Amino acid sequence: MSKSNATIELKKISKEFKKNTIIDGLDLSVKAGEFLVLLGPSGCGKSTTLRMIAGLEEPTSGAVMIDDENLQEMKDDGHTIAMVFQDYALYPNMTVYQNLEYALKVHKVPAEERKNRIENVLQTLNLVKYKDRLPSQLSGGQKQRVAVGRGMVKKSKIFLLDEPLSNIDVQLREKARDEIQKLHVMNQQTIVYVTHDQLEAMALGDRIAVMNQGIIQMIDIPENIYNKPTNLFVAKFIGTPQINLIEVELQGNQLKLAGKTVIETMDVHLQSQSYYLGVRPENLHCSKTRVSDLSLEVVVEDIVDYGRFVQLLLVMEDGRHLKAIVNELAFETGDKVFVTLQQETSLLFDPTTEKNLYWGNYE
Amino acid sequence: MLKRKINLWHILLLLVILGAILPILFMISNSFKTLRDSYGTMLNLIPLHPTLENYQLLNQQVNLLGLTWNTFLMATMVTVGKLLTGLLTAYAFRSYQFKGKMLIYLIFVSTIFVPFTIVMIPNYLVIAKLNLLNNIIGVALPQLCDATGIMIFLKTMEKIPNSLIDAAKIDNIPNRRIFFNIVVPILKPSIVSVGAIFFINSWNEYVWPTLILKDKASFTLPLALQNYISSEGGTNFPLAMALSTIMVILPLIIYLIFQKYILNSISNSGLK
Repeated sequence: MSKSNATIELKKISKEFKKNTIIDGLDLSVKAGEFLVLLGPSGCGKSTTLRMIAGLEEPTSGAVMIDDENLQEMKDDGHTIAMVFQDYALYPNMTVYQNLEYALKVHKVPAEERKNRIENVLQTLNLVKYKDRLPSQLSGGQKQRVAVGRGMVKKSKIFLLDEPLSNIDVQLREKARDEIQKLHVMNQQTIVYVTHDQLEAMALGDRIAVMNQGIIQMIDIPENIYNKPTNLFVAKFIGTPQINLIEVELQGNQLKLAGKTVIETMDVHLQSQSYYLGVRPENLHCSKTRVSDLSLEVVVEDIVDYGRFVQLLLVMEDGRHLKAIVNELAFETGDKVFVTLQQETSLLFDPTTEKNLYWGNYE
Repeated sequence: MLKRKINLWHILLLLVILGAILPILFMISNSFKTLRDSYGTMLNLIPLHPTLENYQLLNQQVNLLGLTWNTFLMATMVTVGKLLTGLLTAYAFRSYQFKGKMLIYLIFVSTIFVPFTIVMIPNYLVIAKLNLLNNIIGVALPQLCDATGIMIFLKTMEKIPNSLIDAAKIDNIPNRRIFFNIVVPILKPSIVSVGAIFFINSWNEYVWPTLILKDKASFTLPLALQNYISSEGGTNFPLAMALSTIMVILPLIIYLIFQKYILNSISNSGLK
């Protein structure tokens, strides 16, 4: 049997629609068997990128290579790529079974094998009792499973998913997400998955490519995307509540916030100037008493109890706000709170290039 | 039992229904009257002396079966032709990007506004040159394509989500298959309703067939009917009513069978 997955490589891909550049010179390589998530806000070009991999759009320039073969020149028998669409795109005139069977039938897969494959997929996806229903008689979650199933029966080397979970109920979404994860472990296909939901991306991706304005801002494992974002966009896009960004001043080894030293930096060789300090809300250490001379005195303006954690909206002396996450409801609105920052859990960004400076220690 | 409130709208609608159905009842009832009765009690809906003699007479005078067959053949050819060309053209407009697409579409659609009287003579000359006078094919040929169908089908096809076609393309389904296995079934309600309208229009057509069909053996029903209401055929009123009744049967059946589709396609596109 041939290999069950393939590599994808995008070489200097550009795409223009009516003279608007959507994608500009994008390079991307996906390893065989990898689960890559394209993450970004709507209109960032992630769906267009996926459609170019699918061969549904032709790049204005550049090339899409599948297993080192140019997609445009490939003689595809319809077995290389499968895709799940956001609106599922089930054929409305065919039953669930016929939807799964149609492509196999057209490509003359022998009846016996066809039957086996479909039965298998129906079983895996828990769709056996719906196999004679029309798409209009299915719920959103069921339709989504049929759409995934239609991709699965093809046993393609590459599986593309375009926001497959965005149209189903929140309660079902997590279950569906786990299912997709399981299928990947089972089938080892190369998956490219487009979403605007960072939780989905973090949960599913071997690697995540964060896109904005047609450019890949960062591509890395989920942990690094969260902890070591390369620039302000990635830092702000990932994480809820959003990362705190504070304008600070570096003077020698003193990092000053509104004139007051908040961090005494170690091993930092950066110019003395102003920077953006990024601190994730869970890394703001809050306490009722002053921990050190560097602690910052703030007032609790608002509290949101999410059950699992509590979010504090803190206001500084000069009126700027910070968000913090604490594990228990130990504060009340109006309380004085001391916030302590740490260099290890904070990020320093250049205000003009918006790049993460890694405190001057480039990795 | 029925306690529904009757309001002004209901009365208005009832009047409209009466206006539509009375002439038909009038036609049917007179077809069963004797000539004398029909003059004396023309407006009576129930014949005083019901008789089948009009139908029997008609059967002796003309070849009813032949007439019906001719009409059916012509209407079927025209309907199938218009549907097929309309669907294919609409699919091309829906699926392909090419230079001057909008212009070509507008030229197609503008033919709707060209009166038949303008193309009548040139069409006649072409058909005559093709040696298709007195032939049903000669009647059908210039009518195998129709911009109304293209327009209606294109509007319906535009409601088919792009992702559906894309899904088929990713599975490398050939265009011919996408068209016949996916697009056509989705469009079934509008095909049926547009087809019914095409069929009935063609069935009732008069002016163009009179130009082409001179030989009585090639006549369609409306042409034969003309013989009974013109001075030439005399003024045997109940006889004309009998032929009218025969002529109306098939369109009526088509309407009854497909009324669900026809109403459906008016109220929604059949998708969803």
